[in-house]
Amino acid sequence: MMTKPSLVQPPPFAIWLVDLFTPDEEGEAIQGDLLEEYSELALKSGVASARRWYWRQSVKTIAHLIGTGFRVAPWSVAGAVVGGFLLLWLGFGLGLPERATLAVLDFRRQPHVHPYYTWPQAQVRVFWLVCGALIGRLLMSLFIGFIVAAGAKGREMVATITLTLIQGVFGAVEFLVWSASHRYAFLLMPVITPFGVSIMIVMGGGIVRKSRSAAARRPSGT
Amino acid sequence: MSGREYLGEFEHIVILALLRLADRAYGVTVRQEIEARTGREVSIGAIYATLERLQAKGYVKSQFGDPTPERGGRSKRFFHVTAKGISAVNRTHRALRSMTAGLDLVRSYS
Repeated sequence: MMTKPSLVQPPPFAIWLVDLFTPDEEGEAIQGDLLEEYSELALKSGVASARRWYWRQSVKTIAHLIGTGFRVAPWSVAGAVVGGFLLLWLGFGLGLPERATLAVLDFRRQPHVHPYYTWPQAQVRVFWLVCGALIGRLLMSLFIGFIVAAGAKGREMVATITLTLIQGVFGAVEFLVWSASHRYAFLLMPVITPFGVSIMIVMGGGIVRKSRSAAARRPSGT
Repeated sequence: MSGREYLGEFEHIVILALLRLADRAYGVTVRQEIEARTGREVSIGAIYATLERLQAKGYVKSQFGDPTPERGGRSKRFFHVTAKGISAVNRTHRALRSMTAGLDLVRSYS
């Protein structure tokens, strides 16, 4: 059966990625241009070749959009990144996720009634402390991602990815220092936490970007 | 901004493509024109990044056309060079001519 290349859509994930990094005012033109050339190429050289071209164009376009984001709005991006870094530093430095976890675990508990743990109780408590702290850190990172993206309007992904890179460098240094001074360097938690924190910050940026993009496309009359 | 700035290499190429294409200049045609004439593969992102920069300098202006079905109902964004842009092209050409005057590039440096 013959397929109609003009009706074949480009890779949806590539469209989604380009959309994530494209400012609202340029989104329509860039996506339209990519689709137009993709359709022409699919007719001329086949869908597989057109898909390869689309991916190549998408990756290069995203790289350029990131660069443009820095150049066009350097102060708003830098301000959002510095603000986000301070929030991370303050939040994690003050141990807010751990404090919140303890507060939840100790809610309705009366230490003077049961001051001592049995061994299984202690194990359960430690397990929930570790998991709770990790979940708390991830949620806090998502929230910081929201704040950074809100501050860097139109350049949400540039700001959150930059913060993630800076946080990644600090996380790597912290991990090296930590593993040099601890015998239990094989524990996964110090590796998982910075990685998870990075993903959640970018995810926060992505959520804000997508919701802004959807709001911009909504007809003004509705 | 002094208003006496020269165009960068890619800015120069893009603005010349706009002048060649006249009222047909939008992302796709600009990209294809540059690829056809320079043999250099450029991304649509590079074109828009440069056009945005040129627009910020007042060298080009843009307007949206009507949505078309082959673009999934999206509009084309047409660009045209302003008088200030033409002056910048002329200034850059004059500077290049002045810098290359008297040089036998083919014989001396090839």
